[in-house]
Amino acid sequence: MRIRDANKEALIREKAIELIVNHGFDGLSMHKLAKAAGVSVATIYIYFKDREDLIQQVYTDESRKMTEATLLNFDPDAHFDEGLKRQWINRMTYCLKNPYSMTFMEQVKHSPLVDRSTVDTRFLQAMQRFVHNAIDRKEIMPLPVEIYWSIAFAPLYQLVKFHIAGKSMPGRPPFVFDEEKINLTLGLVLKALKP
Amino acid sequence: MNDHSITEAFVLVFKTNINNLRQVKSIAPTLDNCPDILKWNVDLADIDKVLRIEATHGQCGRVIELVTRAGYACEELTD
Repeated sequence: MRIRDANKEALIREKAIELIVNHGFDGLSMHKLAKAAGVSVATIYIYFKDREDLIQQVYTDESRKMTEATLLNFDPDAHFDEGLKRQWINRMTYCLKNPYSMTFMEQVKHSPLVDRSTVDTRFLQAMQRFVHNAIDRKEIMPLPVEIYWSIAFAPLYQLVKFHIAGKSMPGRPPFVFDEEKINLTLGLVLKALKP
Repeated sequence: MNDHSITEAFVLVFKTNINNLRQVKSIAPTLDNCPDILKWNVDLADIDKVLRIEATHGQCGRVIELVTRAGYACEELTD
């Protein structure tokens, strides 16, 4: 009988994310994964039914971890300025600690291979409540959610990407997203969202 | 998600020549009707066309016999 081993399973998941990030979804096969994780193909099948099941399970798990990290010490009833700052810090910390996971989650967004409806709703509920409170208290203006998200979070993710890459535009010195730059950007974002 | 069912069962994996959906369907009654087999699937995306079985026992020989009798090659995928 084959025994489940949590460490082995975690290693398989980690290597799967790395393969997908470095080589795309087509770059992931059970054989390549077995080689990367230093286990046998048979071992991978103990934990996962097939490739699709593997990708879906990895996504569900990563999305849970991301939700937990993002909601850490976050109060959906806080003032918008304070709450958004907490969100930025939490999301940035998570991305810097798990750069592969961040890229993987982005790839998944555009892939038909993953059913995103399985995601834990805690995150969505907290964020909705946070935004609706802020609109009710006239701390921000009401906007279509896509526009809200693009102003509130896209600048953060772009600058985190520059930071991780260590470079931005040609000819520019390495970009470091330090506290001063975070506060500068956050100030502009908050200003843009005010009613 | 399905941790529970997996820990309760024996997972057996085999290399086969079950190459397409039609062949999967042809072997389905054999596997579905075997009381020892709780769940099964064939990963057609894999080069080894892996047949994965969750069974009430860990005896590969019994599965190999079933699949071979149905006309397919089947060998244990070993470590």
